Amino acid sequence: MKNFVDAYSWINITYLFKGLLITLEVSIISLLLSFIIGSFLGVIRYSRIKWVSGTVGFIIDIIRNLPLLLIIFFTYFALPKLQIHLSIMQAAISALTVFESAMIAEIVRSGINSVPIGQTEGARANGLTSIQTMWHIILPQAYKKMIPPLVSQFISLIKDTSLATIIVLPDLMYHAQIIYGQNNNYIIPMFLAISIMYFVVNYALSLIARWLDRRLV
Amino acid sequence: MAMIEFKNVEKYYGDFHALTNINLKIESGETVVLIGPSGSGKSTLIRTVNGLETVEGGELIVNDQDLANKKTDMNRIRKNVGMVFQHFNLYENKTVLENIMLAPRLVLKRNKSENEKIAQALLAKVGLADKGNSYPKQLSGGQKQRVAIARSLAMKPKALLFDEPTSALDPEMIGDVLNVMKDIAKDSDMTMLVVTHEMGFAKQVADRVIFMDSGKILEDAPSAQFFDNPKEPRAKQFLSQVLNH
Repeated sequence: MKNFVDAYSWINITYLFKGLLITLEVSIISLLLSFIIGSFLGVIRYSRIKWVSGTVGFIIDIIRNLPLLLIIFFTYFALPKLQIHLSIMQAAISALTVFESAMIAEIVRSGINSVPIGQTEGARANGLTSIQTMWHIILPQAYKKMIPPLVSQFISLIKDTSLATIIVLPDLMYHAQIIYGQNNNYIIPMFLAISIMYFVVNYALSLIARWLDRRLV
Repeated sequence: MAMIEFKNVEKYYGDFHALTNINLKIESGETVVLIGPSGSGKSTLIRTVNGLETVEGGELIVNDQDLANKKTDMNRIRKNVGMVFQHFNLYENKTVLENIMLAPRLVLKRNKSENEKIAQALLAKVGLADKGNSYPKQLSGGQKQRVAIARSLAMKPKALLFDEPTSALDPEMIGDVLNVMKDIAKDSDMTMLVVTHEMGFAKQVADRVIFMDSGKILEDAPSAQFFDNPKEPRAKQFLSQVLNH
């Protein structure tokens, strides 16, 4: 019991929250970037543009089948060999964005596929261009259907930021390690504390998603 | 002047010969009904007129442009040729008014107040003035189809294509939709091509009836003549089947 009281000292808790802020910062930036890039790639893959869609699909398949850790190592250890120097934060965000964009592209593509073809035919027959049809009719309906898989993907992303601990990203997981590194007795209290933090953040995300799902037409 | 003209048009789905040597001329302002057994190519034919299906041979001139030519800009044709589908295809994410106003806003750049005025007038015309803010899923099939017709009319097209507009409707809804279509047919400038199984509508409204089977046009005759005295044995057989049940 004493271990818990000592482990949760003010200084330790604020230190954990600083880590949580880094986790959130990296997650939110990667999430926004990969949502935009992934949507774009998903639409391109769906559109069956000669050569382009196939090439994009091939690259997406490669990335989806690599371990995220390898991509993190690549952006942090390999890019400097190619004269591209990124900070730890930039390396983590780039790796997560590349990986998540590929995952989201597939979610977007299958979301678009699930919108009945009649919606496209109705819009095209009505005189809309293919881009107008995609933007005004297909994507809004597809995103609504994509909310559940997108949210699970975002939750994975938040959890996966902890992998960047390996390249010493000072995130929630890393800060917990620093604390229990100084005192072994703090291991269980720290694991409990960060479990709660990850849970609260991710559960809040699913609640927002449920609310959004109800609100959208 | 012909609004729609097929000259020796051919269409294949893989090995399947969907349309064989189609020759058909529809004058501006005419109402033409296309009938035939299912699988005869009626829907395929009507869908070639606005480029939803491509054609592989011959010429297909719609509003002075050849759809058989791959360089033809489909959107220029679709601006002038509306289509009403069997399953309505209303935009599920938009209200009724937004459904009607979207294409005029994006394609014709019609200004907002005029767009709304025209949309409201069309809704009143199809008897749904109070449904402007409903979403498609809140409407019955017959109401959806009338909104779809209003949506097509909002583009002020020269021609309207109807692909089995009443086939997915409950019997008691069919009359409302047919009445709206009869109204449109009275407009002497509007060219109408209608695929339907409603023989009453064909008899009453059509200037001409086209009978198709196995991807070919077998008979093309003025409506009264077709129903009183069909020439082709296949057409006679079809009529006796659909009329005497």
